[in-house]
Amino acid sequence: MIRWRGFGMRKRELDEEIASHLRMAIADRVARGATEEEARTAAEREMGNLPLAKDVTRETWGWVWLERLGQDVRYALRQMRRGPGFAATAIGTLALGIGAAAAMFTVVDHVLLRALPYKDAGRLVQLQEGGRDAKTFFYTPWVDLAQWREENRSFEDMAFSTGMSGRTYLAGNSAALLVGGTEVSPNLFAMLGVNAALGRGLIAEPPGFGAVKNAGTIVLSDAVWRSAFGGDKNIVGRVVRLNDKPYTVAGVMPAGFRYPLDRGANGQVWTAIELGAKDQGRDYDSEHYEVMARLRRGVKLETAIAEMATIQKRVAAQYQDAELRDDHRVVQVERYGDSLIDTNVKKALLALLAAAGVLWLIASVNATNLLLARSMARQREIAMRGALGASRGRVMQQMIVEGLVLSGCAAVLGTGLALSAIKLTGAVAPIHLNVDFSTHVDFTILAGLCGLTLLSAVLSAAWPALIAVRAPIEPALKQGGQQAGSGRRHNRLRSGLVAVEVAMSLTLLVACGLLLRTIYTLRHVPLGYRTDHIIVANLSIPSYRYVNKNVTATLYQPLLERAQQLHGVQAAGLISEVPLGQTFNIMLSLRMNGNNIVAALKTASPDIQPIFGFKMLAGRYFNHDDTPTSAGVAVVNPAFARLYAPNKHDLNSLLGLTVWNLRKDTPAKIIGVLDNERQKSVDQPSQPEVEVCLCQITPGGSVYNPITMAMDLAVRTQRPTAEMIPELRDLLRQASPELANSTFSTMDQIVEDSFGSQRLAAHLLEIFGGSALLLCVAGLYGLLAYVVTQRTRELGLRIALGAQRGNLLWLVMRQAGAMLTLGVVVGLGLAWASGKLVGGFLYGVKAHDGWTLAGAAVLLFLSGMLAAYLPARRAARVNPMEALRSE
Amino acid sequence: MKREREVYRNRIELLQGTLDMLVLKTLQWGPQHGYGITQALRTRSGEVLQVETGSLYPALHRMERHKWIAAEWKVTEQNQRARFYRITAEGRRQLANDRSRWDTMVAAIASILEA
Repeated sequence: MIRWRGFGMRKRELDEEIASHLRMAIADRVARGATEEEARTAAEREMGNLPLAKDVTRETWGWVWLERLGQDVRYALRQMRRGPGFAATAIGTLALGIGAAAAMFTVVDHVLLRALPYKDAGRLVQLQEGGRDAKTFFYTPWVDLAQWREENRSFEDMAFSTGMSGRTYLAGNSAALLVGGTEVSPNLFAMLGVNAALGRGLIAEPPGFGAVKNAGTIVLSDAVWRSAFGGDKNIVGRVVRLNDKPYTVAGVMPAGFRYPLDRGANGQVWTAIELGAKDQGRDYDSEHYEVMARLRRGVKLETAIAEMATIQKRVAAQYQDAELRDDHRVVQVERYGDSLIDTNVKKALLALLAAAGVLWLIASVNATNLLLARSMARQREIAMRGALGASRGRVMQQMIVEGLVLSGCAAVLGTGLALSAIKLTGAVAPIHLNVDFSTHVDFTILAGLCGLTLLSAVLSAAWPALIAVRAPIEPALKQGGQQAGSGRRHNRLRSGLVAVEVAMSLTLLVACGLLLRTIYTLRHVPLGYRTDHIIVANLSIPSYRYVNKNVTATLYQPLLERAQQLHGVQAAGLISEVPLGQTFNIMLSLRMNGNNIVAALKTASPDIQPIFGFKMLAGRYFNHDDTPTSAGVAVVNPAFARLYAPNKHDLNSLLGLTVWNLRKDTPAKIIGVLDNERQKSVDQPSQPEVEVCLCQITPGGSVYNPITMAMDLAVRTQRPTAEMIPELRDLLRQASPELANSTFSTMDQIVEDSFGSQRLAAHLLEIFGGSALLLCVAGLYGLLAYVVTQRTRELGLRIALGAQRGNLLWLVMRQAGAMLTLGVVVGLGLAWASGKLVGGFLYGVKAHDGWTLAGAAVLLFLSGMLAAYLPARRAARVNPMEALRSE
Repeated sequence: MKREREVYRNRIELLQGTLDMLVLKTLQWGPQHGYGITQALRTRSGEVLQVETGSLYPALHRMERHKWIAAEWKVTEQNQRARFYRITAEGRRQLANDRSRWDTMVAAIASILEA
């Protein structure tokens, strides 16, 4: 009962209880004949130290810590109000550090530790077959995965899926919508542990041949259901058209559900896989599926890997073709979450997280330095508290609470900073980097933030507190005044901290400098083609409309003619993928001239050459004399020539060779060598490539289907991009409504985007490096300003004794120089050691690049000296009379 | 001040077992306030035991927390408002427990000393 009464009330009650005790003791004594005065004195003496008795009693309630915490927080807030400048500096510094760390942690958390929208996603794994070299992995034919399902004991369930080929359009209420379409085994949703929000979804039936219960049904994602059908509650049972084929809606998945996770941003649809004749064997024609499985509860990944290795030996033995058997020797079992992360992005993010961590450390060190300075100034106050009976623990606690209050404010501010930073970065980050920049904050992030705050507080406040309480009480009280306790030891400590800051900042600055040089070098790599004034549209082609037509003749050629006639267009061309586009990839594997050849395959219209200004190293490019009926032609690139030319030194030796047959009896002969280095990425040389003329790609040809599925429209124009894009979009819409979904960019932008992770890292490091420099300069300035104030009397005395003002200036600058030199030397060492971390992201510059190291060091040193000049000048201007009188 | 507190704590610890037992025993005779308990202990011990305020009240509040005793405000015969403590069933069990432990210890110590 009493336990729940308020603390204040209990306190009053205790006061009253003791008071009544005292009254009764006095009354007794008076009754025995003492005077009122005597009785009171005697009773009070007998009862001893009453406040202490009350204190000890209250401690038994177990609430005192809360009371004290309240006191400390109030005291800390009062301190902040008294010195707003100090508070603002400390909070700002910490906020910068916490903000940077929180922002990076948020992004890393979303990308690397992202919560998958499935039940118990930690147990979901992806299975892929691969060759012994374990470098490339392939999807799996049905017969193999059927054997896995049959023989394994590690998995609860195993499901499989395959993306629908080509672009998938769903006819909605008003317009056709580009969606991500996936064919799945009927047990997939159940295995993922997600039920349809509407309808019953796919019916569980054993996957196999002649599985019919789900035939002709489709499941929609929440996004598709809302955007295409306005969230119609009666959608289940309705017939919708997917690529012009009718399907009955069997269900709608809940909002947020996606499978596969990395495809279909606009919305997804799923139909059931129907196994067919192609699924009965293990040969080149077999359909291949993406396989997912759910580990049994308690089964470790390693166990599953070991079991699958055993099973796969039996599976591989059944392959008749020796080459295929080699490609299916091993099984890779990988957690689904891990399989989604690009290793490059992962490395970049981890390196940036480390950089943010360093910035946070710098901020903490800076805050420590500030608090240390203040604890020196407060030494007298602390000594006084000690003399009045406060225990060391109590004073420590109070100072740590002060640190906590400061860090708490900093965390709030830092979170704001972090969220806006992520929003800003998200806006400029290249899309294909596939990094989630959403500002959604979840429990992990909040927990991480709280941890950071606590750590910052302990790191920045505990040490100064410890030093402060360990100082002996008496001398501080005796000396008194500002000049007290300016021990050399403490100044050395603070100088050391500044040097640490300088060293860490230099590391960040060097990393930043290296990446800026990388970006600079990348921008100046000769690409071998022009990128100015080119608008590129990545066409979103409704392949289904052209199933029985010649898409080249009915869509591409007319489109090209109309684009060329558009006002302001100098030239328009079509190509499977513009250089650096990263949208499309077909590898061709064939025999030429007795060699096995592997090359990328592209198709292009003749106008592509003048648009990009590709140079011809030998022979000619396609021209308008190449027609569907003329002789087959092909163009190769230097990488191809280097590997496969009969005479390595004479590119002309390639001309006239047959690459392969476009159709039966129509050989494609090489007519030229096109100089298109840097077609995949700027920092890597090209891979071998074969281009064929678009007009010669006709139905029935060997590559007609895959190669007509993707196409980029490139237009050279002097008119402004913003003006051209709507006109081009209109033109595309007229050709086919779905084409209006095409994405537009400029060639300059595509090149810029291809720098991807380097550009992102460079931008972020600019911010981190800049902040570090700022903190460093602020820390140095703060320390010197404090030292000068402390030494005012000494400086005054020196002047009075005849020191030149220049000497005093030199005195302070020398101190700054020493700190900076120490920091820079250590920093260069650190930068040298951390070279490995950034090495992977550099191009055209070494991790130990002398110019960058020297440049960063000089920049830091000069900024530091500039910051030191202000306090130094103040030291030189000390008025001896005032300085001496002020004591 | 700090040292003084240490002393208080020590004394409580020294007396802890016995003080609790003595207070509980006193309350067995009827509800009593803090001052009354001090007086009772003094007279019953033949003026030998003087319980410090700084030990008594922490002990009373601790025992209240353990639910060995319960408290309520009442008016004394001299018309003073005071907090009266009364022993609970739990307290009686505790007392019996303490008592038997005390008896065992006294007997053990006595047998050593007399040997």
